[in-house]
Amino acid sequence: MSESRFDVVIIGSGPAGSTTARWLAQEGISVLLLDKRQELGAPIQCSGAVSRHALEEVGVPISEEFIQEAIYGFGIYNEAGKCTKIDYRQLKPDEYGAGESQVPLGYVVDRRRFDRYLMTQAERAGVTVQLKTEGIAYQPLDDHYCSVTVRHYNQTQHIKARLVVGADGLMSQVGKWAGLRTHIRINELASCLQFVVDKVPTDGLLEIITGHEWAPGGYAWVFPKGHGYAEIGLGVIPTLTKRDAQWHLKHFMESSFFKKRFSDCRILEVQGGGVPLASPLRTQYADQMILVGDAARHVNPITGGGIHTALSGGYIAARFLTDHLKHDRPTRAADLKAYQDAWLQKLGNKMWKLYEVKTDIFREKDIPTRDKRLFQTMAGYFSPDSEYKKI
Amino acid sequence: MSERSPVLFNIGWNACINCGACVAICPQPEPFISPFDTISVDRPCDIACMLCESICPVTTIDHVAWEGTLPQSPLNNRSHHT
Repeated sequence: MSESRFDVVIIGSGPAGSTTARWLAQEGISVLLLDKRQELGAPIQCSGAVSRHALEEVGVPISEEFIQEAIYGFGIYNEAGKCTKIDYRQLKPDEYGAGESQVPLGYVVDRRRFDRYLMTQAERAGVTVQLKTEGIAYQPLDDHYCSVTVRHYNQTQHIKARLVVGADGLMSQVGKWAGLRTHIRINELASCLQFVVDKVPTDGLLEIITGHEWAPGGYAWVFPKGHGYAEIGLGVIPTLTKRDAQWHLKHFMESSFFKKRFSDCRILEVQGGGVPLASPLRTQYADQMILVGDAARHVNPITGGGIHTALSGGYIAARFLTDHLKHDRPTRAADLKAYQDAWLQKLGNKMWKLYEVKTDIFREKDIPTRDKRLFQTMAGYFSPDSEYKKI
Repeated sequence: MSERSPVLFNIGWNACINCGACVAICPQPEPFISPFDTISVDRPCDIACMLCESICPVTTIDHVAWEGTLPQSPLNNRSHHT
C-alpha cells in the first residue's frame, strides 16, 4: 500500500478528463490522470464527429494522427428522404473546402487515436498519467483535502489530493460516491448502435435522418469515416419503441429511402453506446469533487454530441480550478459551486435551452407533427445562422 | 414494470457490445457494475426495474428470479473482482 500526493486526481482520461488535466498542468498544478482501461477510447461508443472550432477553442492541434475524414456540412433528411443540405463549401466557399487556403468545418475522429492524443498532450504538459487504474472511492478529510482510493494492477493505492475530478463518462461512479443525483431517466437515454461499413459512398457531409419510422426518439446517421468507409448508426428511446436499436438499424438499412445506397455495404465494426438526450446534472459538485464531460451530462441534448462539450467543459473546469487552487481556497462543496456557475454561464445555460427545445418536441404525441418539428429543428440547428451552432 | 422481488441478471456475452448503456441507466445508488463494464451478474438486484434490459441495443440481458444462490457459471465466480 502506498500514499502519494497530488493537487488534483482526475478519474477518466477521455476528452473531458485529458483537457482538464492538460490545462491544469500548464498552470503548474500537479495532476494525476487515471483511466481504468488499457487502451483509451475503446470499445468505441461514439460516432466521433467534432467541429474544428471545438478543437481550436481548447488548443488541440489538428493532427492526422486522429482525423479520419474532414467534414464540410450537413444533410438533414425527413422520414421520406427530403433533404435540407447545408454545405459550407457552397455557402462560404472562400472559407470552407479542401483547398490550401480553405478549412474544413469539422472532422470525424478515431476515438482511440483522439483520446490517446489528448492524453499524450496532457502528459507532455506535466500530468502524471496512469492507465489500468480504477477509482474505487474517495473520502473528504477536511476543508482542503480528500483521500482517493484506486486500484492499479490489483494493488490498492491511496492518494491525498485537494480534490477529485470525475471524468468517468456516462457510466460515472464518481458522482455516486458523493451521493449526487446522477440517475438518468429511461426516456432520456438513447440506445445507440452503429456499424462502420465499406461500400457506402459519402460526400464530406454528416447526414442525419429524422423520423419516428427510422429512429423513434432519436435519429439515424450516415457519417464519412475516411479511406472510403462510412458509419451508419442510430439511437432510439426505449419508451418509444418495442424493438431494440439492432432491429431499427436493420430496418433503416433494408427499408429506408437509402436501401439502394446500402445494398452492397459490408460491416467492418460494430459499436454502440448510451447517449443522454437529457439536461445537464443539476448539481455537478460535492465536497472535494467536481464532475466534467459525460459524467456531468455535458452532452448536447439535441444532437447527442459530447466531444465539444467535454473539451469546453474540461477547459472551463481547469480555468476555475487553477485560480481556486492557486489562491489556496478550500474545496468544500460550497466553494466549488462557482465552477458550475461558470460552466452554466459559458455553456450550460444554452444546453438547458436546447433541452427545453428537445423536451417540447417529444411532448408532442402526434407522430407526423413531431417528425416535422424534429426535422425543422435539426435543419435549423445546423444552419449558418443558428444561435446554437457552437455547442 | 418493476417485478419487486430480487433478480439475477444474465448477459449473453456473445452479443454484448460493451456499450455500457446498462450501467448508465442503472438506478442502484451504489456501483452495480461488472469487471466488463456491464451491470453486475454475480449478485442479485433488489430494485428489479429492468431498465438495463430495456436500454440494451442488442437485447442481450435477461434475468432469473434470485433463489439465494448463484447458478454454476465461470463468469459468476468473480465476486472477488467486483
